[in-house]
Amino acid sequence: MRTGIFVVALLASMLLAPAVNAASEPVPAKLLKSTSDHTKFKALQQEFNSGPEVTKACLSCHTEAAKQLHQTEHWKWEYKNPQGQLLGKKTLINNFCISPASNEGACNSCHIGYGWKDDTFDFTSEVNVDCIVCHDTTGNYRKPAGLAGNVIAKTMEFPPGSGKIVKGINLKKIAQSVAKTSRDTCGACHFYGGGGDGVKHGDMDSSLAAPEKEVDVHMDALGLNFTCATCHMTKGHQVPGSRYAPTAQDKGAAHLRGKEYKTIPTTCQACHGQAPHKKIAKLNDHTDKVACQTCHIPAFARGGVPTKMSWDWSTAGKMGPDGKPLTIKDAKGHPIYMAIKGDFVLGEDVVPDYRWFNGTVTYTLRSDKVDKNNEPVQINRYEGSASDGKSLIWPVKIMRGKQPFDPVNKTLVVPHTAGNDDTAYWTNFNWDKAIAKGMATIGEPYSGKFDFISTESTWPITHMVAPAKNALRCRDCHASGGRLEKVPDIYIPGRGSDHARWLDTAGWAIAVLTLLGVLGHGLGRVILSKRNH
Amino acid sequence: MKRNLRLKVLALILAAGATSAAQAYDGDWKRGRIYFRHVCTACHSAEVKKAIPPNERTKAEWAAYLQADKHNKGKDSVTKYFSKQYRDSIKSKNAAAAKFADVPENELLQDVKVFVNKGAKDGDAPAGCS
Repeated sequence: MRTGIFVVALLASMLLAPAVNAASEPVPAKLLKSTSDHTKFKALQQEFNSGPEVTKACLSCHTEAAKQLHQTEHWKWEYKNPQGQLLGKKTLINNFCISPASNEGACNSCHIGYGWKDDTFDFTSEVNVDCIVCHDTTGNYRKPAGLAGNVIAKTMEFPPGSGKIVKGINLKKIAQSVAKTSRDTCGACHFYGGGGDGVKHGDMDSSLAAPEKEVDVHMDALGLNFTCATCHMTKGHQVPGSRYAPTAQDKGAAHLRGKEYKTIPTTCQACHGQAPHKKIAKLNDHTDKVACQTCHIPAFARGGVPTKMSWDWSTAGKMGPDGKPLTIKDAKGHPIYMAIKGDFVLGEDVVPDYRWFNGTVTYTLRSDKVDKNNEPVQINRYEGSASDGKSLIWPVKIMRGKQPFDPVNKTLVVPHTAGNDDTAYWTNFNWDKAIAKGMATIGEPYSGKFDFISTESTWPITHMVAPAKNALRCRDCHASGGRLEKVPDIYIPGRGSDHARWLDTAGWAIAVLTLLGVLGHGLGRVILSKRNH
Repeated sequence: MKRNLRLKVLALILAAGATSAAQAYDGDWKRGRIYFRHVCTACHSAEVKKAIPPNERTKAEWAAYLQADKHNKGKDSVTKYFSKQYRDSIKSKNAAAAKFADVPENELLQDVKVFVNKGAKDGDAPAGCS
């Protein structure tokens, strides 16, 4: 009996102890980073059956968020550059998967909206904005290719008829866990551009989700641990630092808190200023001609994920001995041939190409004329020169491709590749049907004839900044066959192409004569000294 | 006799309290990912020359492996590699062990459990080594 009372008393004391403690001596709680606990919001305490239902709940508090999002490139997939070219994923052609147009169901899983499956998508709808894709913290949010950016909220067979059962995601739990953006949320699309991990950019892949210092000194998960937004500082959901409007040269000062700046916050100079080299000040003399990235990103695709360096669509369509679409993988298991896409060349630890770049990029648009006499067609052209006063030497990835074009109309074409219908190339392997459907969808003429044309596209290398100890050394450029050997119109001491043979000969002759003189003088002194003794 | 009984009851209650506290901790999959990659994978890659991507096993296989708590074919335990003692022993050369040196062992283990469960072959986000 007495034991029973003791147990009850003990239990009661355990239950009450925290309350008593709280009243008498506050226990320091773990400091929360956010002022809001989203599990406590009534709007989120419900089961959600679709993405737009979640957005509606988000907007009940964040009333202006969708309006802000509607003004972004992330939403519009459109951008007009200073030359007046209409760019953005909506209209551009590249030499990876070529174009999202007519393939919206698959490609638009990376749109920050729900349901963009064709040109009937309502860009004014607020509930079509996908808040979660950028603010998820669970890592469980998925927008499967084929659903036009929608999510699977209830377990279902997907793709329909495949026999594959896909488990529905728990939207309630995900919605209650939202927070600031992270490398994972940005990376969910940007690491996988071009159709897979690391495919497109070369300096962005899944290795940046939790990288080591050697891969990215700023994002180092155990060090500075930058998120993307640390540099791409966002105001009103407007994200600065788009490659459509690149800043090639930033002559501004390092940004101080509290001051307003006209320069964007994503450049190196926005933090490091104009003279960042304290120990070897001579290096600061390079910054008027050489981008920081040139020395501090010695190679791209350094995180163990290969990037595509070339893609040849002309070889697509081969079947294996079993009659099924052929796939060939390299020793590491990465596909280097796929019947649906053609041949690839992959690269890891790739040394960049180097170009003069002044921030102006001119694109080859869908309506521009292309010609096999002028191969490779430049999908985009980086403008710049040594003499324009605006250019720096930049590291770039050059992506080489061979893609379909219309030899009669002399335009690049948009093929309809993804889909379960009879005209999709990945279903029927028929270029005629795929191109006809793609071109009809975008409303551009197609002659009915196609061929393949070589193309190149240029991509800035600006992520994967290495620790200073791994930056380029003087001899990497100031030597014959150095990295900048092919950069024109600049004198680089020590560079092979800058050698004047007569000057080298004269220099060496002077050096040899000087040495001989010193040795002769020394020898004379020794001989005279011995004679005198 | 009664004193012994009281002590046993007390011990039981304390143990139950500790267990429920540990169970209440959901686990931080991102911290688990870092520890898994920078400690588990790093060591396996260096010593065994073979990484251990989470997506090589199913959720059930990971759960069974962690439950069995047998590492290196039973020569030692898995939990040993989450202990503060182990972290202290490698923290001079392992940044993850240094950064998480003061994290309670059960929390760190839970972090990694959550990560491998999520990154398993049949998990919500199958994860390779990168």
